[in-house]
Amino acid sequence: MQTKVLSGNEALAYGALQAGVKVVTGYPGTPSTGALTSLLAMDLPGRHVEWSVNEKVAFEIAAGAAWAGQRALCTMKMSGLNVAYDSLISIAYSGCNGGLVIYVADDPGASAGMAEQDTRGFALMSDLPMLEPSSVGDTYRLTQVAFELSERVKTPVFIRLVASIANAKIALKIDDLLPPAERTPTLERNIAKYTKAGAAICITQHQDVIARLEKASEVIHEMGLNSLQLAEKPGGLGIVAVGAAAAYLEEAFDLAVEYGLDKTEVSVLRTVTTTPFPTVDVQRLFAHCNFILTLEELEPYLERGVYIQAHRAGFTGKIIGKLDDGPLSRVGEYDVDHVLQGLNTALGLGIPVDHFKGNRATETLAARRPITVCAGCPHRGTYMAINQAIQNLNLDKDNVMVTGDIGCTILGMNPPFNTVWTEVSMGASVSLAQGYVHGGVRTPVIATIGDSTFFHAGIPGLLNAIQHQTPLTVVIMDNGWTSMTGMQVNPGTDETFQQSGGRRIDLAKVIPGLGIDQFFVIDPYDLKGATSIIEGCLTLPGVKVVLSRRECAIQAMRQGKHAGNVRLIPEKCILCKQCITATGCPALSIEAESIAIDPALCNGCGLCAAVCPTGALEKEDGT
Amino acid sequence: MSYDIYLVGVGGQGILTLADLIMRAAVHKGHPVSFFPTKGMAQRGGFVKAELRLGRAGVGPHIRESGAHLVLAMERSEALKGVRYARPEGDFLLYGHVWEPTAVMLGEAPYPPLESVLEAIRVSNARLVYLDPKELAKIDGAYVAANVFVLGAAFGNTRLGEVLSAHEMIEVVQARWPHRAKHNAAAFDAGLRVRGTS
Ligand code: SF4
Ligand code: SF4
Repeated sequence: MQTKVLSGNEALAYGALQAGVKVVTGYPGTPSTGALTSLLAMDLPGRHVEWSVNEKVAFEIAAGAAWAGQRALCTMKMSGLNVAYDSLISIAYSGCNGGLVIYVADDPGASAGMAEQDTRGFALMSDLPMLEPSSVGDTYRLTQVAFELSERVKTPVFIRLVASIANAKIALKIDDLLPPAERTPTLERNIAKYTKAGAAICITQHQDVIARLEKASEVIHEMGLNSLQLAEKPGGLGIVAVGAAAAYLEEAFDLAVEYGLDKTEVSVLRTVTTTPFPTVDVQRLFAHCNFILTLEELEPYLERGVYIQAHRAGFTGKIIGKLDDGPLSRVGEYDVDHVLQGLNTALGLGIPVDHFKGNRATETLAARRPITVCAGCPHRGTYMAINQAIQNLNLDKDNVMVTGDIGCTILGMNPPFNTVWTEVSMGASVSLAQGYVHGGVRTPVIATIGDSTFFHAGIPGLLNAIQHQTPLTVVIMDNGWTSMTGMQVNPGTDETFQQSGGRRIDLAKVIPGLGIDQFFVIDPYDLKGATSIIEGCLTLPGVKVVLSRRECAIQAMRQGKHAGNVRLIPEKCILCKQCITATGCPALSIEAESIAIDPALCNGCGLCAAVCPTGALEKEDGT
Repeated sequence: MSYDIYLVGVGGQGILTLADLIMRAAVHKGHPVSFFPTKGMAQRGGFVKAELRLGRAGVGPHIRESGAHLVLAMERSEALKGVRYARPEGDFLLYGHVWEPTAVMLGEAPYPPLESVLEAIRVSNARLVYLDPKELAKIDGAYVAANVFVLGAAFGNTRLGEVLSAHEMIEVVQARWPHRAKHNAAAFDAGLRVRGTS
């Protein structure tokens, strides 16, 4: 035993190691990234850990390993599960041999800026068990349970965290790590299990997947994973809670005691799954309680199950949750006040409304802080060049569609650039742009996308544009890293950083091979050169691809690389602020007599110097 | 004992490091602790917050509104986002550093004046401790790390010192950066001695 300070993501990683996981794959995505990152940082002989090109590929690799009899884990954020889902449904039908666990992180509150998607819906649709830890400690334990459950039932098992559990840290006692038990891989030829050849096979597999969920429900019950505490006296309130919402129960009780709650009169079921539904435990609550409160973040999946079971049991008591127009919302994260509000409504505690709200009146006075790219970020040069090219062609920026994509490149939507119009899903920029063209837009259409996003899901869109010769300009902003999620390696990352034996895939070689007529490589730090090439592209017919290439400024800085040196000659500065307005670079500020450069931030990219009308900023080349 | 700390600031100020240090001190002392850092997408210059919950095992990571025993703000404007978490009779330490977004710098957007921020904090009925950034200590002519200084000030000016001892805190800070141990101890100490205004 040792005590370590661990996040939920790290606890999940340690849990998987403890369970003897052999293969771990994933694609970075907040808030799930930390799990695989922490494994990659460890020396794990005999195990394979990788960032895969996308979640579908990652999941298929993990499934292959589990079919060969090994324990495998695949990690992703909720949006990634959408990408992997095609294979997931199919593999759910087949089941697995070795334990196969899919870790997916949801983001109630959307702090990472995507959908508040509740992936529990996917567990329902695929009939796969989904464990929902309510704390970091739970995560460590339930990850190990997930592997055991998966192997006993021969089904893939989800483990789902939300952002506040994935990234919260606590001090946790964990077991000393054992090396994984060696398993000889098995090859099983079984058409009826591993293919979908014909209706008979598919129908049988459908029956199997339903039966496995039933079995999982029994195993969970037998393992005693859910906790049911029935009040001494029958007839009171019964609470069913799952996930993060359950973490606030004790605290809420303590607060509610001040308003007259008698804790001993409340029955509580903490369930670790919504799918399979904890039918037996809920039926026991119905038998014991007169009314029910369901507590869960996001969608009322648990609550719907409660209604169904209530109907079957002939339970006629009140059910309080999200479907009864009460105070509980389907939107946003929960904290103790949500639970308290549930108790308040259920028990009529009469807690005044203002108890639940802090003073928010002055929050609107806070300065808006739109985020922009880092000092020296190469994307800055690409946005500036696109904007300049549009202007040089006397086009109105409000008439030129520039689709955007996921990752740091999306920051082109913010000031001072205001370049990018859309953000949908990985790779969507390239295909959306084609829709605008076919939709009859006569002005040039531009798609912007980062390197990792392009590898992940942008390539099919580009192939489509080439096949159909749809006129558009695709700007691939290649900074060599998957940056926004915290600097992961992708297929285009320099070979020095690839895992041992790995190889870099050079987009400058791949793209011309697709049969593109117009392919250009630009340096985003060379504003003039980049602008003139993009300008040219906007007037050419057919598919044009511009590869805008420079290493992520943060990563370059970490390696001690400086793009150059920019020197300020204060006497020449007339404080026109052009440099700041055009670049929005965080290294620039305004002083009394001139602008100033923060030398700790500036990497000498020279973009500010390129727009200074008086030559007050001078660029010298660097290392 | 349960003690909740809500921290706000701007990415690049070291606020998450500051929170991490408090967590380590608490863990060291054997207190249960939950630490939930949230940073936005930006490396620097974006809103950053952290929630620290000391003294109670098995709590959820979020602090309720009006629930924080201590709100610790390292940037004047961002402090406003901490106000709703301030507990009446709790402490609110504002280190009034100003980190202007570009639009503010260019005179295109407003930035809250100090007096309205202080007033907002007072209205929440928390005990305000205002630290003028001009008080930031210098050692050998160079400013010390603001986050370590503010950490010291939190011990010297709020009831955090009743939960953890300043002495143990210094040890954690020193252990974190052994080669800067002396320097950081001095920075912490300067913070400990400075007196904020209300
Ligand atoms: S663009 Fe040049 S002259 Fe204008 S403020 Fe910047 S440095 Fe000074
Ligand atoms: S050269 Fe100018 S634009 Fe580039 S990082 Fe330095 S200050 Fe920012």
